[in-house]
Amino acid sequence: MSTPKRRNFQIEAFKHRVVVDPNYAEKTWKILEHAIDEIYNHNASGLSFEELYRNAYNMVLHKFGEKLYSGLVTTMTSHLKDLSKSIEAAQGVLFLEELNRKWADHNKALQMIRDILMYMDRTFIPSTHKTPVHELGLNLWRDSIIHFGKIQIRLRIILLELVQSERTGEVINRGLMRNIIKMLMDLGSSVYQEDFEKYFLEVSAHFYSAESQQFIECCDCGDYLKKAERRLNEEMERVSHYLDVRSEAKITNVVEKEMIANHMQRLVHMENSGLVNMLVDDKYEDLGRMYSLFRRVPDGLSTIKEVMISHIRETGKQLVTDPERLRDPVDFVQRLLDEKDKHDKIISLAFNNDKTFQNALNSSFEYFINLNPRSPEFISLFVDDKLRKDLKGVSEEDVEIILDKVMMLFRYLQEKDIFEKYYKQHLAKRLLSGKTVSDDAERSLIVKLKTECGYQFTSKLEGMFTDMKTSQDTMQGFYASQVAETGDSPTLAVQVLTTGSWPTQPSAPCNLPAEILGVCEKFRTYYLGTHTGRRLSWQTNMGTADLKATFGKGQKHELNVSTYQMCVLMLFNNADRLSYKEIEQATEIPPSDLKRCLQSLACVKGKNVLRKEPMSKDIGEGDAFFFNDKFASKFYKVKIGTVVAQKESEPEKQETRQRVEEDRKPQIEAAIVRIMKSRRTLDHNNLVSEVTKLLQSRFLANPVIIKKRIESLIEREFLERDSVDRKMYRYLA
Amino acid sequence: MGIQRDRVRFNVGGKIFETSATTLANAGRDSMFGSMLDENWNLQSRETDEYFIDRNPACFSVLLDLLRTGELHIPAKIPEKLIYREALYYGLLDNVRTAKWGQFDGNRLTLAGSITGQAPGDGTAIRAGPLGGCCVAHGSMVHVYDWMLEEHSPIYLDYQRINDVGWIDSENIVVSACERLGRGDGGMGLFSSSTGDLRYKFQVSHENQVKSFTAGAMSFSSDYRIFASCKGRSNEYGIGVWDQVTGKQSDFFYESPDWSLGDADRLQWLQNSNCLLVATLFPRKDNCYISLLDFRVKRMVWSWSDIGAPITVHEKRVRDAIAMEETNSICLVNEYEDLGFMDLRRTGGGVKWSSRRRLMKGKMPDEPCYPKLALHGGQLFSSMNDSISVFCGSDWVLTSRLRRSYGGSICDFSIGGDRLFALHSEENVFDIWETPPPPLI
Repeated sequence: MSTPKRRNFQIEAFKHRVVVDPNYAEKTWKILEHAIDEIYNHNASGLSFEELYRNAYNMVLHKFGEKLYSGLVTTMTSHLKDLSKSIEAAQGVLFLEELNRKWADHNKALQMIRDILMYMDRTFIPSTHKTPVHELGLNLWRDSIIHFGKIQIRLRIILLELVQSERTGEVINRGLMRNIIKMLMDLGSSVYQEDFEKYFLEVSAHFYSAESQQFIECCDCGDYLKKAERRLNEEMERVSHYLDVRSEAKITNVVEKEMIANHMQRLVHMENSGLVNMLVDDKYEDLGRMYSLFRRVPDGLSTIKEVMISHIRETGKQLVTDPERLRDPVDFVQRLLDEKDKHDKIISLAFNNDKTFQNALNSSFEYFINLNPRSPEFISLFVDDKLRKDLKGVSEEDVEIILDKVMMLFRYLQEKDIFEKYYKQHLAKRLLSGKTVSDDAERSLIVKLKTECGYQFTSKLEGMFTDMKTSQDTMQGFYASQVAETGDSPTLAVQVLTTGSWPTQPSAPCNLPAEILGVCEKFRTYYLGTHTGRRLSWQTNMGTADLKATFGKGQKHELNVSTYQMCVLMLFNNADRLSYKEIEQATEIPPSDLKRCLQSLACVKGKNVLRKEPMSKDIGEGDAFFFNDKFASKFYKVKIGTVVAQKESEPEKQETRQRVEEDRKPQIEAAIVRIMKSRRTLDHNNLVSEVTKLLQSRFLANPVIIKKRIESLIEREFLERDSVDRKMYRYLA
Repeated sequence: MGIQRDRVRFNVGGKIFETSATTLANAGRDSMFGSMLDENWNLQSRETDEYFIDRNPACFSVLLDLLRTGELHIPAKIPEKLIYREALYYGLLDNVRTAKWGQFDGNRLTLAGSITGQAPGDGTAIRAGPLGGCCVAHGSMVHVYDWMLEEHSPIYLDYQRINDVGWIDSENIVVSACERLGRGDGGMGLFSSSTGDLRYKFQVSHENQVKSFTAGAMSFSSDYRIFASCKGRSNEYGIGVWDQVTGKQSDFFYESPDWSLGDADRLQWLQNSNCLLVATLFPRKDNCYISLLDFRVKRMVWSWSDIGAPITVHEKRVRDAIAMEETNSICLVNEYEDLGFMDLRRTGGGVKWSSRRRLMKGKMPDEPCYPKLALHGGQLFSSMNDSISVFCGSDWVLTSRLRRSYGGSICDFSIGGDRLFALHSEENVFDIWETPPPPLI
């Protein structure tokens, strides 16, 4: 495209003498060719660099660049032919050494040739788009040596053999190996990949496929993993010593696939040593190894996770359904906590605190804890036990830890409202009997419940605390107003409980002894005088009393009893013998309570302030009771407990359940109305699922019950069915 | 012996020079001295005690001084070309180039020379190359100059009119040209800067059919893409995108009926915002259209036009526009060299003009050249008639003015390779402005 005149322009700048000698080019090239020969013959010391440089410059300047370049190609090719012969002739181990030596020679020669021909490299080669000298030298080496028939195959076989013998424990010359591999890489990444890496990966796959087969037949899971890990590390080390860094991912991939991915199921389920055994025996090291190895392969972690989930579910299910365990709720919950701790520790020590494993653990716990409908009750009982006695003298932080653990179990519960029911009952008992260990611990737990479930969940529980506080103030006020009249009438401590906040059962009040009745009346007058519009009713089934009693031989004791027991005992102030019927008539205590109360007064060894005829464990309607004159105890204060079932009895359980169901109804209805109000129309399935979602934080609503509630709302004309599509509901404003 | 080893003795054309191996090491391994001192060749030095070099001693002295101090001082009696030739022999040309002029600073520029070419004037564009060379487009020719200002074989396009040129790297130039009716040529080609040979032709295809097209303004991105404003035969107007590595068309952004992209005056790739600025200006179109295209979402993300602007601002026709990413603004210039600014962060804002008209009063030549803008290293350059103004600082204060008296108005200028090239319109002359090397102390 350019005019010839312009092309001359560049040369003009370098105007030089005209070449006269027609053989000039040939002569100059001979000098340079001779120099190249001498360089290859290790005989360069006699050469003058400056002269050669100038000759090469002159050839380019005088437009013999083409001759210079093609001469170079021919000469170098012929030298490489010689080198290839001597490499070929080398036998056995010497082959690699010879190859390495010749490669070093060639590199050095190439560098020197490039030095001489630098001017050509800089001017002639770019303008004619030819291959630069260094690259040319590498290409010629590749074509005449590395890709030359027999050498190519021999080289590959030897390299692979060396790797193989290193794998079987022999020591090889890694330095030589590194040099040869580096040569392949210098020739271009495609040479390295095509001539070596491809075969290397193939052979490795074969090797590890066979080895893993052999290992898996004779090793247990832990040992196998150790071996696999060692192999993996060996391969990485090999790459760092003499292979291309980019091979690391490829070769580890091969090892992972052959040694782990292909045997994953078998390893995990290996008899006596598989994953389940590791979990049971807390083999943190083996588990950690399994985690880090399995993590490298697709689906590895999910395989571990699945087995772990089914194992936890299985053991958890056994734990919660074992009737043996159900006897002791505290032990039951403690076992759950231990189980959780065990797996938490495994996840943190061996599974790198993997979030997905934590989630799996949580979902497994959620699954099996809810298999047992009594879990909410037991957890509440556990808390009750802790707050009654176990936490005495425990530091605040430890209390927090235990409470946090309880909260963790609480989170797994689907029927949180049932827990609330029980918790309320147990809390009420603790508060009323003043048995709680620490007010701070109680409040701390309430705060935790509140953050977990919201204000609504705990408002009543907080109300109970308020009641306790106000009652204290009220009592102070009461006694302040009664200063003048306090004679030796019994001291009364009243706790005024707000209806609704407390799990009070309506109970027929018993007949209180006259002494008490008087004080009670005074209090009632005082209280109603200070508050208007209130009604007081006595919960005689919940109180306690301290009685001073004198037994035979003048022995004095202070008896700590329940209100019912007090009523019974006070009867014996006027009589030594009373029949069951008489007591029942005088006190009007409900029969079941009365029986229990008499049982604890007459049948418990060491606490039997009454004597019963006939002597038997159970209370019959025809029994007669006597004041036990011979009662003796080494303590001044004697606490006479009621024979109370800590755990609920079957009918009580039914009752609680029923109450919970009853409580759920308005909640479900409220949820339905709230959803329908915003959606206006919705079909049945979606409504049910939304209601379930809305109530999830409190309980798992039963679809059948939801359906009943919907029907009830339709009856009350909150909703209507669509006249066309019967499955659609419509909100009626 | 240990001390002497660092000493090197040369006999250059009969004159003895002594220097140290340390000084020579400054030449780098890829020079004659680098090779000479390499241990492969070092053996013979012991015998002869000095190296003989059959070259010009005066030039050697200058180059040796360059290696010693890093500074280039050419005595008046030695032609520069002689030094360059000798430097090429020793492999020191790069050292000479980097010592020849200093780092670019618009406020310290001095005129380093003017080159008169053979073309009949009325140049289209001048573009600075990355290593201090430049190319000048005239009609259907591109003249290419290296940093020594030697002209290479020109790029010749067989009478197709060239619209824009640009350097991909020091070896490759892209040329965009008009299509001629019925010839199916035009478009864009990649040429060798040293030989002027066509190396590659970029193609546009619409609906899998290769179409002939006219390519206009171009821009290159650092992620190896080429953008060009394109006009196809059947109203296929828009911005074409090619990959510099594969040469294949990778995208095409069609213009919408009420907007102009295919006939743009300026394209500018904005690296940080990953957008392309496209500006079509008067008098190519009656109205001015400036927009930013985001190719990832295939959307015009910012636009401005003077359509419907009141008649009174008729005088404020935008003649060039440049985006300034640091300040998120676009700088505009009108025919009176008033600078205007627009905020890139919101669409629909107006132009804030800062009038400099009074400065220009009565200075309008008969054949005015309208302003062009350039941005380099935080300095804003604006050409107007026969001078180039340099603006600095956040308020763009006028700090310098570059002017030469002959050659007529400046029709285009370009900054690159630490040099500024200004092309004059009346005669085929371009000026080279350089920053001198830093002062001694």
